[in-house]
Order: sequence, then C-alpha cells, then structure tokens
Amino acid sequence: MSHHLRPTTAPRPDRTATLLAVLLSILAFVVGTPAHAADAPAHFEPKRLVFHPDTEQLEVEVVNDGPAPLRIDGFELTGPERHAFAVAEGGDATTVPPGGRHRIALRVERGAFEAIDEATGRRTGKFREGRARLRVKLREAAGAGSATDQAIGLPLRFEAPSWVSAYLVPAVVKVLVLVMLFVMPLASLLTWLERKQSAMMQDRVGPNMAGVTILGKRIRVWGLLHIAADGLKMLFKEDLVPARVHKALYNLAPFLAFVPALAVFAIVPFGDALCYGQLGEVLSQADVDQCAAGRGGTPLQVAQIDVGLLFYFAIASLASYGTTLAGWASYNKWAMLGGLRASAQMISYEVAIGLSIVGALLCYGTLEPHALVKAQSETYWGIVLQPLGFLLFFAAAMAETKRTPFDLPEGESEIVGYFLEYSGMRFGLFFLGEFVEIVFMSAMVATLFLGGWTLPLDMFGASGFTSPLWAQLFFAGAGALLVLVGVSALRASPHAEIVGIVLTLIGAIHLALSAWSIFTGWGTALPHGLVIVVGMVTWGVKVALLCWLQLLVRWTLPRFRYDQLMKLGWRGLLPLAIANVVLTAVAVYFLMPGKDFLP
Amino acid sequence: MTIGVKEVKLERTAADQIFLPAILEGLVTTARHFFRNTFGKGQPGIDTIRYGEPDVRTEDYYPDRYRGVHRLMYREDGTVRCVACMCCSTVCPAKCIYIEAEDRHDDEEKAPRLFVIDELKCVVCGLCVEACPCDAIRMDTKTHMTAVETREEAVLSKIDLLKRGAPSVAVQGGLGPDYRKLQPDRDPRFPGA
Ligand code: SF4
Ligand code: SF4
Repeated sequence: MSHHLRPTTAPRPDRTATLLAVLLSILAFVVGTPAHAADAPAHFEPKRLVFHPDTEQLEVEVVNDGPAPLRIDGFELTGPERHAFAVAEGGDATTVPPGGRHRIALRVERGAFEAIDEATGRRTGKFREGRARLRVKLREAAGAGSATDQAIGLPLRFEAPSWVSAYLVPAVVKVLVLVMLFVMPLASLLTWLERKQSAMMQDRVGPNMAGVTILGKRIRVWGLLHIAADGLKMLFKEDLVPARVHKALYNLAPFLAFVPALAVFAIVPFGDALCYGQLGEVLSQADVDQCAAGRGGTPLQVAQIDVGLLFYFAIASLASYGTTLAGWASYNKWAMLGGLRASAQMISYEVAIGLSIVGALLCYGTLEPHALVKAQSETYWGIVLQPLGFLLFFAAAMAETKRTPFDLPEGESEIVGYFLEYSGMRFGLFFLGEFVEIVFMSAMVATLFLGGWTLPLDMFGASGFTSPLWAQLFFAGAGALLVLVGVSALRASPHAEIVGIVLTLIGAIHLALSAWSIFTGWGTALPHGLVIVVGMVTWGVKVALLCWLQLLVRWTLPRFRYDQLMKLGWRGLLPLAIANVVLTAVAVYFLMPGKDFLP
Repeated sequence: MTIGVKEVKLERTAADQIFLPAILEGLVTTARHFFRNTFGKGQPGIDTIRYGEPDVRTEDYYPDRYRGVHRLMYREDGTVRCVACMCCSTVCPAKCIYIEAEDRHDDEEKAPRLFVIDELKCVVCGLCVEACPCDAIRMDTKTHMTAVETREEAVLSKIDLLKRGAPSVAVQGGLGPDYRKLQPDRDPRFPGA
C-alpha cells in the first residue's frame, strides 16, 4: 500500500555536493564580511551627508565608541568646495561621555553650486555637484598627559539629481523588481496553489502532472509547472467575442479589472531603503533614514506619496468598474446579474474597508505606508493596537477580492458570474487579476497590521540584529523550521526531491549561522545589502503566509446567501468599524502624550 | 391520529452569532488536513490510486469483474468462437452490436462475417457478455476505451476485437445444465462440484 508515499531514493551525491558548495560560498560571503571598523574612537551617524537644493541644513551625530570620554577640539572643512558648507550648530568644543552622542548641524550655501546665466546674469535653477569633508578633531580626555590627537572625517556631498535619475529610473527598476520578481510569480503560483492546497485540505492529490523532461529525467515538482501550462492554454484558446456585445466596454473591462490591481502596488513598501554604493557597509538607522528621504538612496517603495492609502482607495475602486462593465457589456442577462451583484457587494464592502483602517490611521497618525510601518516598528504592530480593525479589514478584504465566502459575483460552483461571456486571455486577465488582488490584500494587511518588512520585538534594526541573542534565536528558529519542512517534503512526496534538499540545506545553513553567532556574537553588524535582503524576505514571507491563509479560508467556509452578505456588510462590519473608530479616537485622545494641547 | 405542531428551536448562542469561534474551528480542521497531507504521511485510511502515473498500471487496481473494452475469443484451432447467434446484439440495450452471419462450412455452426461494436454507443452494461452462450465476447480487458479523434475509430471491427482476444478453453456451446458434473475441474470457483 501507500505506493505514492514511498520514500525517495537517496539524493545523488554529486548534485548535493554542488549545491552544498554554492550555499557554503554564500555563507562564507555573509559571515566573512568585515564588521564595523573599530579603530577610530568615534563614528558619525549617518556615515555621509547628502544635501539637496531643498535641504539646506542637516544634522549629524558623533557617537563615542570608546571606553573613555572624548573631547571634541574643533572642526575643519576640507576639500575643493569647503567654502559652501558651514557648521551651523554644535560647533563649540565639548566632551562626549562614553557611548554618548554629540549633535552637529551643517549648512550648505546652495547658491555656490547654482549656475548663472552668462547673458542675463540670472540664476538658472540648475545645480552642479559638490563635495567636501568635515574633519572633527578628537582627544581622549582620560589622562591629561597621555592625550592623543585623533580625527574622524565625514564626507559631505551636494547634489541636485534630475527628476529622471531621482524618481523615474529607480521607480521603473522597483516596478520591475516588485512586479516581475514578486507579484506576478506569486499570483501565478496562487493559481496553482489554489488547486493544490484545496486538494491537500480535502485529502486529494491535486494537479501533479505537468513537468519537464531534462536529460531524460522527468521533473515534476508537485506539478508546479501547471502554471506555465495554464498560461499557454489561456493564450492559445480561441478568443470568442459574442455578436451583440458593446465592443468598446467589453474589451475595456478585463483591463479595468486587472490594471488597478497592479497599480495599487505602487504604495506598498517592501523594504526600508536602499543606499547607493553602500551595500557592503554596516549602516545605522540615520543612514537609512537619509536614503529613505531620497538623498543618496531610494526608499524601497515605488511611489512614496503622502496620501498613499487614499491613492489605494481611489485606484482600487476602479476595479469594481471592471466587474460591473464586464457584466453589462456582455449582452447576457446572467452576466448582467453577476455584474450587479458584484457592484453591490464591492460598494458595500468598500465602506467597511475604508472605515476599518481609520483606527490604525488614528494610532499612527499617517496615511503614508512607509511611515506607517516605521511607526509600527517604533511602537506596536497594528494587530496589537487594532485587533478589531485587523479582523474587519481582513474580512472586508476577502469580500473585495470576491472570493468564497463572498464569491457571489462569480459563484463558480453554481450561479453564473459576470465574466460568463469571456474566453481566452480576456478571461485570463479576470482570473489573474483576482489573484493579484489577493496578493495585494495580503501585502496591505502585512503593511497595515503586521509591521511590513520589520521583525517583531525590535529585534532587527538598520545595522542587523539588536543583540546576538536575537540573531541566535532567529536563525535557530528559522533553521529548525526550514529543516523540518524540507525533510518532511522529502519524505512525503517523490516529486519534491530538489525542493526538499534545497530547503533542508538552507535550513542547515541557518542553524550553522546560529551556532556561529553563539561562538562569535555575530549578527549585530550586518552589511546593508544583507539587511535589505532580510527585510524583503520578511515582507515576502508575511505576504505569502497571508495568501495561504486567504486560500485556507476560501476552502473552509461555504458561501453566504445574498441577503446574509448584505446584512454582514451593512449591519455587521460597518457598525463595528464605526465603533472601532470611536473607541480608538477616545483612547488615543486620553493616552496621547501631548493631549494637553487640545482644548 | 391528530396532526400536531412540532416546534424546533434553533439554538443560536452568542458564539454562533459572531461567527468567529466556528470559523476558527473550521480553519483548524482544514489546516490539520492540509499539514497532514502536505508534510505528513497523509490521512489514514485514504490511499489514492494514481491513475495515469507512468509507473502505475491500472490493470493492477481494477477488480476482476471490471467491464473494459470488448474482445472476441478464439477456439483452440484459432477461429473465432462466436457463432453469430445474435444473442448479444439482441440483448444490447444500446443496440450497438452489428453482426452479419456466414457459413462456417463445418455443417454445424455459423460464424460472423461482420462483427462491429460502436464503443461510443455502448453503455458498458455487460449484458452482451452475460448473453453469450459461447464465451465468445468478453469485457475483461481491464482497459478503458481510449480517446479517439474521429467517431469511426471508436467503431471496433471483428479484427480489432480479435486482436485483444485469447484462446478460450470453454466447451463450444457449453456443456449443458450438467456442466459442473461433467467437467468438475473446469471452473476453479466450484472445485469438485
Ligand atoms: S456492454 Fe451493454 S451496451 Fe455495450 S455492447 Fe454489451 S450489451 Fe451492448
Ligand atoms: S452472443 Fe456470443 S456467440 Fe452469439 S453473436 Fe454474440 S458474441 Fe457471437
């Protein structure tokens, strides 16, 4: 019996050895990266200052790393453009205790870099780049006689990047990375996972046949290649347009359903910030904040707009046009009814979804997702402060994506839905758009309530783990989990040989890192590139798990009746959302530190 | 007997009203199945036969009395056993067997000149097999009718049917009502009957 559960044959050693070698070399790179250069008695935070024409004054802190108090003797500006910079505050001689910080403000005279029109003598508004260096002279104030003079330097840079290099190019790159490497792969993966996961939940086998034959060996990783097979099928299917449809709207509807679902990803932050040219260095939060402001780096978010969440509501509402128009333009009464159900449902739940996040906005005081995540990591995650808001948002989000138990617009099991008359890739767009929406809603829940790319308990900062113990715990936990999953995947399915081996090896490397950290205290000073990767992976894992949870809900609950759906929306979620807003407002009013300024 | 009214009260506790406990319970159940099937040994008592896997022979799993594609059996001398008695085509509820008889030139029996089964019309009831007095038609091939591109391909001729056939050692025409006594070891199901 159980021939399908037969354990796989042992992996061939040559392949395993190659994989091991590759992963070990990655490990060597990660571990071997030089930590903080600790020869100087103090360092600057941030490590470099980047001025833009609109930032005239910036602050930098001198941090005393040594065991003795340091005396700051004086400042000196060097470099070709030193006359354009000046120390504005904190320029007096002072003593910094061990571990203490001294704040200095620097000014730039931007007129020095502005080009002047030869003919008219007017300012042109065009700036050139300029560089200088701030030297701070330090003296150890321990013993009067043994004092040694030392100096640390801070690079200063003035730059006026054009709109293209400051926004357009990074945005295009980020769109490509986010959409091509994360959203679309995950969404197509979900089309397969939907069927596979439901099979696993219902004791079936599920899709497992698609695969490729490489060098005579059939590789079918749990039928993962059904994604490609389905995509090809969709593309080559006959695209049938019924005779009496409204041509323009019929053609427009799939795009209205698909494009907004992708466009809203613009506001989702998938990491803190990327500092150009500093990937190998250990950075502090001040460095990363400077990059997040667009100076010398770029935030890991396609569009950092202050009204981010309003943008999301505005764009996401367009998707309901897609479904309604699809139903209306099809010239089919069943599609029409489906479209009507869709519009009624989406409008009802959009009210609840909007109100359910107001509580979170009150707590964190911002509409900008990047700042929202920052605020969560500084205080508590949204799910702690807003448990009710989280539940309401999650329920309303599932209704927005039109999935069971809210799948009345489509009703794939018996009633006929709004895209009844669509075939081929037009239908494919509706289908894929639904999965992109699932990914987006998961990303939104992760951003609003689960701390985005951050790890809980303040365990991971801009320069790595906040203490070696966290590093050990994190890597030991993650490693144990990966090894467990990898080994059980190896044992459970004969098709998961490669996946199982890779997962087990990655898990083993995590465990090795944990052990390494126990002996060396490694983990508190990680290179910037690795910190970014950890953040993005954290975010990705959160989003993937939330997608999994949505699928789990979808295959667990039966569908609501139409009146139950409306009742839940208008008489369940909406009053609760309003109550949540009122309670949060009252709580915020009484607990807010600066509440006295209110009358 | 008088007709009475029976009142059924639906108990709706507060826990039912807010859905969440019941939803959580359901999620735990489905998640348990998910993890057991994905990473564990699978649900006990459920053993899926993976039809279509390259190394799985469906023949190994079909029961002996499974009704597959028809075949016609031979006599020991290699000629067809069928005597064109029309029993099968008469009993066939789908009327999908077409037989034309010819002389066998042995002064005893007829033989089918044409023996055609339209497998697309066949409802796989197996009555033809039951009706046949000669053990000539059988459905014990344990193979499905394969998918075909044209309807004609699904109409099996005598040659197609004989290709799947095998010599049958049954006595032509049967042994009569006393067959168990006459040839006790012929039927293994009734040893020494
Ligand atoms: S199985 Fe039934 S339907 Fe098919 S040929 Fe025999 S008698 Fe006719
Ligand atoms: S019942 Fe048997 S012998 Fe008679 S025609 Fe059919 S196959 Fe031939």
